[in-house]
Amino acid sequence: MPLPDTWIDLHRQLSANRPGRPVALGPRLEHPALVHRTLVVAGALRERGVTRVALYLEDAADLASALLGAWRAGAEVLLPADPQPRTRERLAGADTLWLDDLDGLEAAPLAPADLDPQACRLVLCTSGSSGEAKPIGKTLHQLATEVEALERLWGAGLGDATVLGSVAAQHIYGLLFRVLWPLCAGRPFLRRAQPFPEDLQRESRALGGAFAWVASPALLKRMGDNLDWPALRPLRRVFSSGGELPAEAAARLHERLGQWPTEIYGSSETGGIAWRQGETRWQPFAGVALGLDADGALHLTSPYLPPGHREQTADAAELDADGRFRLLGRLDRIVKLEEKRISLPMLERALAEHPWVAEARLGVVREGRASLGALLVPSDAGLHALRNQGRRALTETLRRHLAGHCEALALPRRWRLLAALPYTSQGKLPQAEVERILAAPRPLQGEPGEARDTDGEWQLRLQVPLDLAYFSGHFPHTPVLPGVVQVDWAQQLARRYLALPPRFAGLEVLKFQQLIRPGDTLVLSLRFDAERGKLHFAYRNGDAPCSSGRILLENAPDA
Amino acid sequence: MSDLHLEIKNLIIEALGLEDMTPADLPSDLTLFGEGLGLDSVDALELGLAIQKRFGIKIDAEAKDTRTHFANVASLAAFVSAHQAA
Repeated sequence: MPLPDTWIDLHRQLSANRPGRPVALGPRLEHPALVHRTLVVAGALRERGVTRVALYLEDAADLASALLGAWRAGAEVLLPADPQPRTRERLAGADTLWLDDLDGLEAAPLAPADLDPQACRLVLCTSGSSGEAKPIGKTLHQLATEVEALERLWGAGLGDATVLGSVAAQHIYGLLFRVLWPLCAGRPFLRRAQPFPEDLQRESRALGGAFAWVASPALLKRMGDNLDWPALRPLRRVFSSGGELPAEAAARLHERLGQWPTEIYGSSETGGIAWRQGETRWQPFAGVALGLDADGALHLTSPYLPPGHREQTADAAELDADGRFRLLGRLDRIVKLEEKRISLPMLERALAEHPWVAEARLGVVREGRASLGALLVPSDAGLHALRNQGRRALTETLRRHLAGHCEALALPRRWRLLAALPYTSQGKLPQAEVERILAAPRPLQGEPGEARDTDGEWQLRLQVPLDLAYFSGHFPHTPVLPGVVQVDWAQQLARRYLALPPRFAGLEVLKFQQLIRPGDTLVLSLRFDAERGKLHFAYRNGDAPCSSGRILLENAPDA
Repeated sequence: MSDLHLEIKNLIIEALGLEDMTPADLPSDLTLFGEGLGLDSVDALELGLAIQKRFGIKIDAEAKDTRTHFANVASLAAFVSAHQAA
């Protein structure tokens, strides 16, 4: 399909003069006003000698102005992955002007001019597998090539639809679909992202005409039945990207809207790779050539990549003879939570920097909303904190520590405290094992490490698990092993080693002398006086007696 | 603490997998999103679904600013009561 007459190339935006052409809504902005604002921003940046700007703008029209304006002024543009203080500091140190808004950027406008498609550069940031933010450079030419391909594929069907998005314009998908494509096509876009279904519906209906959604699985799989689905039929197309949309969510949308969502597979590194609509297999975009490496991971060359560059992904795939393919999951330790890419090694390193942490491994907990969980081996200081301030103080402190390194959604919600990480004999800890432990409930009992029988008296060596489930309910700030649990353990463990009558009949001479706390190593002595039906138990921590008593046991009464 | 406040607190803990929290850690006036408890927009989506399901109510898709009712437990409880009475 050729591009329509209404198309304005991305590099010609500032030299085009189209009065009345809408650019953005909420509030409305027309093309001449956008051009003027952009040239003023360009003038202000030039006046200040800015060579690099980092943009974190919620208003998509401001983002368009800042991007084109910076390019007009000869500056490179960076889209940071997050607005964390640490990220800002790093960039400020690298002579980069950070813009959260365009307030105060006033100067005489630069003259309208075409932009140089090869010289204008955008740098996107994303998490690499090493955990460092990985900069990915794009030229204006690459971006323009991609939006032109999108228009050729879907432009005719969209017509004059207004573009609304639930995703931020900060990432490649939002930037291309919510901002640059509509800008070039002359379709108005809504300035602000609408992350909630009811807002998206209200804004869509208020337009009074056709519209298209730039959404993500985070939203689309959580659309409630409070929406007025028949009223949303002027929806011309629903785009989804950032992660795979579960098949049932796609089917539910189809049922409600009468159309399948259009899913885009791609990444910041590669740009768009493929799409699908109501199918499990993906269709590569025109000009994208795919292959697999020895591990079965997809690589590609593409018109959206520098010529001759082959980009290797970590996505396992299966290619079919007809050119379509299936995705089989990632091969590295990068996970995606709600379309946000998160490097587990980076967060593990950040956790290990805290003095309370000896070692940590992270995994994904897939119950309800997927979130991260941490296997944590506390240091001596961490153990001290656990024993004196409680589990929640420990985990909250570590969450706060991590908050400076990542977005809130990456903060672990589940913690399992361990004396040591369960490495295999080859020194490996498979991710599946990490996730199995995270999915399992917290322990209810310590496992005896060693059991010895001396003339009918058993001595069991026992470590009190750091993460015993009982520690949360009882004295949450100073976790201690409840007496009733001590008696219960004694009886249960004794049954492993001694033949005992089945019925519990009472307790005698219970003494609790010293508190038992997480991580304590205990010796439990057990002796059964069969004549009197009494199980004698005593817990010691080193030389210090902790507790002792007698459990009365009897046979079931004769029937 | 009223029963409804307690029920909403337990719903938040359960629906969002906040394993280490108890209702006592969640004062009714604690800001749930952003600062405060630190929940994000996906939690807001999840919580929206959970509230509608548990209490058999519908978030009005035509009213503006319905999400302001999600500011804290007290405002959620008021929202639920108003819709149940309606």
